[in-house]
Amino acid sequence: MAASDSRIEELLKRPLYVYDLPQELLATLTAKNANEAVAEQTPESTPQDLELAAQESAIATSTSCSLCNVAYRNVEEQRSHVRSDQHRYNLKAQLRGNTPLDEAQFIKAIGELDESISGSESSESEEEEAEGDADTTLTALLKRQAKLAEPNEEATTVKGGTAKQPLFWLSSSGIPSNKSLGVYRAIFSDVEQDEPGHLVETLRRKQLAPVKARTNNAQAQQSPSDSSPHMFMCMIGGGHFAAMLVSLAPELHRKQGGVEERQARVIAHKTFHRYTTRRKQGGSQSASDASRGAAHSAGSSLRRYNEAALEKDVRDLLADWKEMIDTAELLFVRATGKTNKRILFEKYDNHVLKQNDPRLRGFPFNTRRATQGELMRCFKELTRIKVSEIDEAALAAAAAAEAKKKEDSKPSTPRPQPQKPKLSKEEEEALLHTSQIQALIRRSKVPALMSYISNNSIPSSFTFTPADSPQNFRCPTPLHLAANSNAPAVVAALLTKAGADPTSINNEGRTPFELAGDRPTRDAFRVSRHGLGESKWDWNAAKVPSAVSKADADSRAERERRDAEEEESKRRKADLERLKKEDAEREAHQRTSKGGRTLGATVEKTAAEKREEETRGMTPEMRMRLERERRARAAEERFRRMQGN
Amino acid sequence: MAVRAQFENSNEVGVFARLTNSYAVVAVGASENFYSVFEAELQDIIPICHATIAGTRIVGRLTVGNKNGLLVPTTTTDQELQHLRNTLPDTVKIQRIEERLSALGNVICCNDHVAIVHPDLERETEEIIADTLGVEVFRQTVADNVLTGSYMALSNAGGIVHPKTSIRDQDELSSLLQVPLVAGSVNRGSPVVGAGMVVNDWLAVTGLDTTATELSVIESVFRLGEMAAPGAGGGPQKESIVESFY
Repeated sequence: MAASDSRIEELLKRPLYVYDLPQELLATLTAKNANEAVAEQTPESTPQDLELAAQESAIATSTSCSLCNVAYRNVEEQRSHVRSDQHRYNLKAQLRGNTPLDEAQFIKAIGELDESISGSESSESEEEEAEGDADTTLTALLKRQAKLAEPNEEATTVKGGTAKQPLFWLSSSGIPSNKSLGVYRAIFSDVEQDEPGHLVETLRRKQLAPVKARTNNAQAQQSPSDSSPHMFMCMIGGGHFAAMLVSLAPELHRKQGGVEERQARVIAHKTFHRYTTRRKQGGSQSASDASRGAAHSAGSSLRRYNEAALEKDVRDLLADWKEMIDTAELLFVRATGKTNKRILFEKYDNHVLKQNDPRLRGFPFNTRRATQGELMRCFKELTRIKVSEIDEAALAAAAAAEAKKKEDSKPSTPRPQPQKPKLSKEEEEALLHTSQIQALIRRSKVPALMSYISNNSIPSSFTFTPADSPQNFRCPTPLHLAANSNAPAVVAALLTKAGADPTSINNEGRTPFELAGDRPTRDAFRVSRHGLGESKWDWNAAKVPSAVSKADADSRAERERRDAEEEESKRRKADLERLKKEDAEREAHQRTSKGGRTLGATVEKTAAEKREEETRGMTPEMRMRLERERRARAAEERFRRMQGN
Repeated sequence: MAVRAQFENSNEVGVFARLTNSYAVVAVGASENFYSVFEAELQDIIPICHATIAGTRIVGRLTVGNKNGLLVPTTTTDQELQHLRNTLPDTVKIQRIEERLSALGNVICCNDHVAIVHPDLERETEEIIADTLGVEVFRQTVADNVLTGSYMALSNAGGIVHPKTSIRDQDELSSLLQVPLVAGSVNRGSPVVGAGMVVNDWLAVTGLDTTATELSVIESVFRLGEMAAPGAGGGPQKESIVESFY
């Protein structure tokens, strides 16, 4: 038993293909509780035996590739070698100054890291592998992949426990209890999904024997009427379209050295790209046309044409593949947006894909731009068994820590709360008063201020809180603030009605009077001194000058106003006189100096001159038309007059 | 036949023109001399398109094409694309490519059957090349140089590669492409053969500096002396070739 256990463990280290599971694992599989959320662990390296991209397997013979140091029998073989990943890898290695790998080394390297050598996928990695030999390159890439894998894991653990898990989880007696195997829900039919109890049976039923690869040359043209179980996958978006028919039965390839290798067998694939999305603005042309009317630029017509062409291409392709699509086990389709959905699912003549097809699925994970490579990646992702390792003890510890933290945080939050009210009871009130009174004084609302003070029975010695705040440094009392904001009415009201103390000093050592910025405010203090009497406050300490009566102050203000008015009228008169004199002077000067007519001086123009001016700069035809109109108008006028008479 | 021309005092003919078996694209220049050379040879045989790509005159370096299609970089404006579409024959597919390596003429070298491309080209671009131009695509280098389009001039009849290409590489490339190749130069020793000349199955245009020896190599490898021009007999052409040597 122990031996077989270790063997299963060994198996788990390799990527597992859902439709071709090892017998010993399959026999011991059991379904886990469906509601139980299991953290998924993304395998760090991807499968070597499912390395399928359009890779040609090369057979050693005689002609030559000096780079890879191999020879071939004929051109066909040589050509297929040039298209192989190994050759591409060696090309890049050579350019980077690395030593080219022979086939065995290459396969080994590929096994260690899943890096597609094609230009599009490896472009990001190139910067990182600028120097160093192949080994360091590989380790660097492995590190990078490990980094990529971590956040992924985080995300799944966090969001676990929602309604429908994308994965079914299975366990096996052959593997430790903390390991679970995940299979995508989407690869089961709707009926099978509904009864998770029979999951394992279903899975056993789905197993397919691998197919022996035919000769390499025959591989390219496979009969489309292949009846083995297969699935259809397609993606459409942003003018890109990629579709693929892939057989579920894996194919065995015999590699050099007798190693058998599993590969997915792509029955047919096709990608299209048309320019349909609007540059810089984004969005499709049809969407733009629908929302803000058809544009008439060269680009828009190109895009409109291309949208139509893409639709036609896609539908033609679907029609070509109709037979295969109808017999497919599953249809995975990604089509976001109205336009894309319409291209695939609209009811046109002989439409192939139907929206209500029970086989139809979306991809249960994020997908990138619609390319053949992306479809291949999605297929691998869908059909690979996920292995999740959970340390139960660690999980429990983590949960406990979480709970403890919650408990800790609960009492800690209420603690500051009682503290605050204890301090504030009065302070809060004072704060409220401060803000209210300050607002009223700033807006010079005297009656409102008075009623507020009396209603809340605010003492005359009230000072603003908090005392240490910057805005209360200069103006700690209402009177200071009133004086500082030059509000004579407020100052008078505070002094006479609210009994504010004019001798209080602020933090600069100044009395309110000293803060007063203009005469009316200062007068308000003096008038108050007069009204309240010398004995009420120590006015000298308040630095308020001698008292003036209200009448005196008013009369002085009146006098000053009158003086100012007089001054102003005098100035105005002088100005007017000066202007008059200047005008006269200018007139006289003109009369004496000019002989002829000055330029631009208005001279009465004759009608003929006016007409000529109007027609200046016109073409002869326009001039004639104008003339005709004028004559017609004149004739009409004449008729009218005659009739009137 | 092979003729010499100059684009505004520049010998790099391949930079300013793109010549295929079904059309030619020539840069818009200050004078029409360059265009006239093409017009004299190609009028009434294939359409010649006066064009800019992305507002520049280096049309030969930015585009690539054969009798089946024309690929232009993503920087091409919609107006330019429309103009090309209007001017070129309807059988020629025109496709704009979104590719990081936007000087397509430098990274792709093709005839009507095969294309040799830069190893870093995206896989999707490779597919587009195969679909639009109807060619088999191979990622290769020419004399350890990734700019295949710059260092190789190719027609259906033959090809010239960088003068320092090893015999072994030449043989390999030749068997891959199934055309005879020679290592040679243009424009008095320039190794940049792809950018220094343009060639199709019956006409080659090289820089004015090209020596007689270089020209004779070009004529022999591209088999331009055999007078395979469509719709033209041997006699009058032979006379004109003699003329063009003066």
